[in-house]
Amino acid sequence: MAHQAHSYHMVDPSPWPIFGAAAALLTTSGLIMWFHYNTSTLLMAGLLSMLLVMLQWWRDVIRESTFQGHHTPTVQKGLRYGMILFITSEVFFFLGFFWAFFHSSLAPTPELGGQWPPTGINPLNPLDVPLLNTAILLASGVTVTWAHHSITEGNRKQAIHALTLTIALGLYFTALQAMEYHETSFSIADSIYGSTFFVATGFHGLHVIIGSSFLTVCLLRLIKFHFTSNHHFGFEAAAWYWHFVDIVWLFLYMSMYWWGSC
Amino acid sequence: MAAAAAHEGGGARLWKTLSFVVALPAVGVCMLNCYLKAQHKHERPEFIRYAHLRIRTKPFPWGDGNKTLFHNPHTNALPTGYEDEN
Repeated sequence: MAHQAHSYHMVDPSPWPIFGAAAALLTTSGLIMWFHYNTSTLLMAGLLSMLLVMLQWWRDVIRESTFQGHHTPTVQKGLRYGMILFITSEVFFFLGFFWAFFHSSLAPTPELGGQWPPTGINPLNPLDVPLLNTAILLASGVTVTWAHHSITEGNRKQAIHALTLTIALGLYFTALQAMEYHETSFSIADSIYGSTFFVATGFHGLHVIIGSSFLTVCLLRLIKFHFTSNHHFGFEAAAWYWHFVDIVWLFLYMSMYWWGSC
Repeated sequence: MAAAAAHEGGGARLWKTLSFVVALPAVGVCMLNCYLKAQHKHERPEFIRYAHLRIRTKPFPWGDGNKTLFHNPHTNALPTGYEDEN
């Protein structure tokens, strides 16, 4: 059939979904081999194949949309639903770790000294680097909004400046958190306090890195003229994800850093 | 493109102003605060062998299996005490 009589995108056959599943299998079984049998080859193969699948699959989406024109408003609407549903699933992911934190901190056991923070734990001062990190992420939310409006208004130079500033703030946050991780007097092995703190903030940090990477891809695409003033969903998805990362941090800051240190 | 620009006139300017007048100065103030706080050093707490801290149920899958991923010999004690004290 030469022309389609509908506004949807019937995607060409692609190897990436099944390769992605294979990469997930290699990564999970690789983790087991690393944890229990002290060998990291399978894990490295899994992570490498995961990276290759992501690069090639998303490259193909850009080809189909920007260069082949398959992303009609209908298709874009579906992608919006998809991104919103994905972010919602991530909200539930973090909810689990917050549940664990409150379960342990609202009724601290005798083994912890019957108090929170537990006996012997010196928590971070929330008004020190954690407050700076809060300001950084909030500021990056402002700059990414500036970038979005610049794109909508067709101002290329300002859009590039604003998005670059956003990414720089994200990298600054990551660097500061890495430094904090190295400087804390407590570690992940220090009671349930350490477990909840580092698993929750650790997954958050991973999401900051993912979000920064997504924004960087958008910056490269912006420079290469992929976006128009009224069709730039890749950027919008990245901005939504970035706001989500910011909001998770605000909850982490209020509960673990601030309330959890008193 | 011109029609879209005419409709959204002013939005980018508002957020640019907010970025440089509110958001980035706030980051600067917090940076200054951190710098000033870092000027006075603090003593590291003495080592007390609490059972609920420095848990080692199984070895870590790296190094000698006894150090956490972000181990800092100055601030993090091992289960047997600070490394530089023994």
